[in-house]
Amino acid sequence: MSDIWQGPLEKIDEWRWRIPKSYKAGMRVDGIIYADEKLLKDIRADKAPEQVANVAFLPGIVKASLAMPDIHWGYGPSIGAVFATDINKDGIITPAGVGFDINCGVRLLKTNFQYEEIKDKIKDLIYVLFDMVPAGVGSKGEIRVSEREEREILVKGARWAVEKGYGIEEDLECTEEYGAMEGADPLAVSERAYERGKAQSGTLGSGNHFLEIQVIDQLYDQELCDEFGLTLGQITVMIHSGSRGFGYQICYDYTRSMIQSLSKYKISVPDRQLACAPFNSPEGKKYFSAMKCAANYAWNNRQCLMYLVRKSFEKVFGISWQKMGMYLIYDVAHNIAKVEKHTVDGKEMTLCVHRKGATRAFGPGHPALPKIYKDTGQPVIIPGDMGRNSYLLVGTQKAMEETFGSTCHGAGRVKSRTAATKSINIDELLRQLEAKGITIKATGRNTIVEEAPQAYKDVNDVVNVVHNAGISKRVCRMRPLGVIKG
Amino acid sequence: MIKKNYEFLEHTADIRIRVKAKDLKELFVNTALAMFDIMAEKSLKPRAYSSKLKKIKIIQKADGLEELLVNWLNELLSLSAVKELIFTDFKIKKLDENNLEAEIFGDEIKNYRINTEIKAATYHQLKLERIDSSWQAEVIFDV
Repeated sequence: MSDIWQGPLEKIDEWRWRIPKSYKAGMRVDGIIYADEKLLKDIRADKAPEQVANVAFLPGIVKASLAMPDIHWGYGPSIGAVFATDINKDGIITPAGVGFDINCGVRLLKTNFQYEEIKDKIKDLIYVLFDMVPAGVGSKGEIRVSEREEREILVKGARWAVEKGYGIEEDLECTEEYGAMEGADPLAVSERAYERGKAQSGTLGSGNHFLEIQVIDQLYDQELCDEFGLTLGQITVMIHSGSRGFGYQICYDYTRSMIQSLSKYKISVPDRQLACAPFNSPEGKKYFSAMKCAANYAWNNRQCLMYLVRKSFEKVFGISWQKMGMYLIYDVAHNIAKVEKHTVDGKEMTLCVHRKGATRAFGPGHPALPKIYKDTGQPVIIPGDMGRNSYLLVGTQKAMEETFGSTCHGAGRVKSRTAATKSINIDELLRQLEAKGITIKATGRNTIVEEAPQAYKDVNDVVNVVHNAGISKRVCRMRPLGVIKG
Repeated sequence: MIKKNYEFLEHTADIRIRVKAKDLKELFVNTALAMFDIMAEKSLKPRAYSSKLKKIKIIQKADGLEELLVNWLNELLSLSAVKELIFTDFKIKKLDENNLEAEIFGDEIKNYRINTEIKAATYHQLKLERIDSSWQAEVIFDV
């Protein structure tokens, strides 16, 4: 390929590669990419390393512009980007460091079922789920809300659903930020965003969003599996969704206004999509409040989806979800900005940590973790593509030291949607998945092809890097049995 | 089949297109047409819903032409989601460096099959240029 990235990638160790800040005038810190030799080949063939370097221009950035092994070319920062700015020293916040689908994320719930017990029911389950969980673009939810309630959701997040009876208190314990970030201001959200988000609660987004019935096919850490109550052959369910149109509009509204404010704050960025404002400026604060609204909206959305999943299982098996042991393991965001305290060069700093296609991975003992995960470290959920595996990991102390408590978020694309559509035959693909025992229901044939396993890096390679680099630890692996694509 | 007035360029995660036109107004129209062509495809089923097009007026301002193009596309995406319409016809009344006024015409989304949800048009590697006597734009959509 002619446009392989030619910039410098210095080997730090087997799992880390440095783009020195001398690469481009204006870089304030180095870039560091987590990858092995194999993944690095794909990464070089992509333009993503240039984007890692571009992020290093952002005012207030500390330590390094980081990229996880699932890095791929995005807009502004790459997907898989992690970076933090010192908010007490003019550090910025940028909507591009979060992405359009604010708080796109995943949750994983367990069941008491073993694969052998329900293998004949998977198809029924998928059909009932497809019927009960409204999927696809612009689809409207079963759970309808009034305008007043919608604003309540933005502040309360997943708690709104729990108060309505769509879940239990423990669900919130097992959700990042307990299902809501404090300080969400509905007044920071445009009318258009409200309109765009209307009636989308409880719906799956399209594209890479999905709902999956899985079976645990490998245990890596027996002690942690015991702690989480997970065994080989056990059935799990994964839900992947975000803030959809509501979040897209907020991201766009604020990118547009921050392009205007670049000159006001004398900020120069190598890519307009990196438009940003000082975290403590009126523009920065307003975006952060609006972003929190979208984040809370997404957590509520995933809580509502989980409610519909539990109801679907109840319909198929005729027993309560509690009896089926359908408890939430954890819910993580992978497109978000947070204010967190981290130690950089021996000094504790208050940082605005951006994770765009990256997951928080706090180590054992972190005060943000609920009691049940204090000793294990934070559960980290890594979805793969529809034909390969997904993982449950935990955060580590090393992640706290190296990556602001962050790790990868998924497989990461290697093939563009256009290339996938051109080169993959849908019937052939469906046959292959069928042969692997995977049932697929999707709203459109295009979605299946664009999201085909061949379009993604092998998630096993990606997880291998984060595990070996020590920024998270493998607990167990799942493989898909039934998939619903929005 | 109608000849496509745009081409796809490689991009790993998102969709990147190049659009050509003989003048600037046509460039804005063609880019919008391309975007909705990627998003939706007319259903082959006989129309179950009204086929009367809805007209909406749009006014956009920006600091320059490139930004104006992205703003125009995002406004269309946003209106499409809110009004549940697929826009099929665009009349640009006024277009200069900083201002755009247009009338857009939309068909009910129920008459279409959605292929790709486009989240937004981005400013990333955005290009808008005059080449000899024609115009060309390159846009990346987040999908």
